[in-house]
Amino acid sequence: MKNNRLYIILLLFLSGFYSLSAQDLLKLIEQEQKDTVLYTLATFKATRIAIGQSVETRKKGVLEWQFMSRFWNIPDRRTQSFIADKVSARIGLVYGVSDRLSFGLGGTTWDGIFDGFLKYRLIWQRTDKKGAPFSITLFQNASYRSDSYPNITATDNFRNRLSFTSQLLIARKFTPNFSLQLTPTYIHRGSLLFPEDRQNLFALGLGARYKVNNHLAVVSEYHYLTNPIRAVDTFDAFAIGVNWEASDVILQFYLTNARNIEVGNFSTQTFNNFNFNDGNLHFGFNFTYVLHLKKKR
Amino acid sequence: MNKTITLILILIVRIGCAQEPDQYITRQGQASFFSYTSVENIQATNNQVLSIIDLSKKEIAVSMLMRAFVFEKSLMEEHFNESYIESDIYPKATFQGQIQDFDPSINGEQTRIVKGQLTIHGVTRETEIKTKIEKTGRTYVLSGDFELRIKDYEIKVPPILARNIAKTISVTFSFKYIPYEK
Repeated sequence: MKNNRLYIILLLFLSGFYSLSAQDLLKLIEQEQKDTVLYTLATFKATRIAIGQSVETRKKGVLEWQFMSRFWNIPDRRTQSFIADKVSARIGLVYGVSDRLSFGLGGTTWDGIFDGFLKYRLIWQRTDKKGAPFSITLFQNASYRSDSYPNITATDNFRNRLSFTSQLLIARKFTPNFSLQLTPTYIHRGSLLFPEDRQNLFALGLGARYKVNNHLAVVSEYHYLTNPIRAVDTFDAFAIGVNWEASDVILQFYLTNARNIEVGNFSTQTFNNFNFNDGNLHFGFNFTYVLHLKKKR
Repeated sequence: MNKTITLILILIVRIGCAQEPDQYITRQGQASFFSYTSVENIQATNNQVLSIIDLSKKEIAVSMLMRAFVFEKSLMEEHFNESYIESDIYPKATFQGQIQDFDPSINGEQTRIVKGQLTIHGVTRETEIKTKIEKTGRTYVLSGDFELRIKDYEIKVPPILARNIAKTISVTFSFKYIPYEK
């Protein structure tokens, strides 16, 4: 009896070995699967979260056309303006020199600031559980203020009109739906509107994205300035909005208190707080069109 | 006594079978898909498809990483992975099945039906694929094409892009198998 049972077990065991089912073939394949380097895709979808830079760079040979705008009202003013009293728009381009290096430039209407920048992906987060758990992109820009300051006592030569912003964009895609970015920022301002103003400022940006569905994401940004300029009261820049993308177009809609579009300016010179009063509430809209100049294959 | 003989016989058969290569593998199989619409043509190719066939069982298994599909436009590749196939959640497409009436000994061409389960985007469906099998020496080449409806695999396309992405995607594949050594 005992022998019989042993026999059946052995028989089953042996014949089990003998017949590999398709299920087992699939398991066999899994073992054959090589480890491939998979860089995390789309920590953010656009090269901007809303108002500030995101960790994303454009791939090689990709040209991005960017239109960024702000609309706001002037308080207590009887105007005939349609929708908004004031409009500021920046038209810019971003070009992917390589998969890691991007170059961009643009000009803004309202504050007359022209800016150019380089973005370099230093560390790229990987989804294959190996390598870096987060991404780091270096950002360096230079901006030129074409408008003169109203203050006649301020010196205003070419050097004074330049300012430089360096950023370390550190981001992690925690889940397919949620990404977070920390942005330590150093700003050097060439111009001093008032003598007591600081030339070197430090800020810390915080940005996040939450994907609501496959095409829509909620984004928010906050830029904390550690040592604000002294002559006037400034506020930290804040933005909240949605990103929507499909095909070659990315649309971003948001509410913010930042009037300037260039990063060094909105981080240091946002003179109004974020609330729903006229003059403080700014509606922002970014339109990005992506062109592939070089196609693979 | 009889039992012992049976056991020994099974052992002998088992060892005997293990000695000749039953399994053939491809590590660089090619799979492409095409979406043709009047607005836009989308196509992508994966050159790293893994597949094993078992000649004695007439079985086949295929596995491919969705991230290994290369598109003409890098943004398309990003959209494909991020917004449609969701490769973070469903990294692979797999197939397992049986080659019907397959005779591994036939040299040259034979066309057979492969019946099995195709899993894409986490959805498994019974599929029948007409496959051309070509034997030359110690290699087998399996190739063919089939169509699949993206709706069947719960891949959602926003209404605004409904005209850009075909409802039926055509897939072509070509796998060249060599004897599998572990």
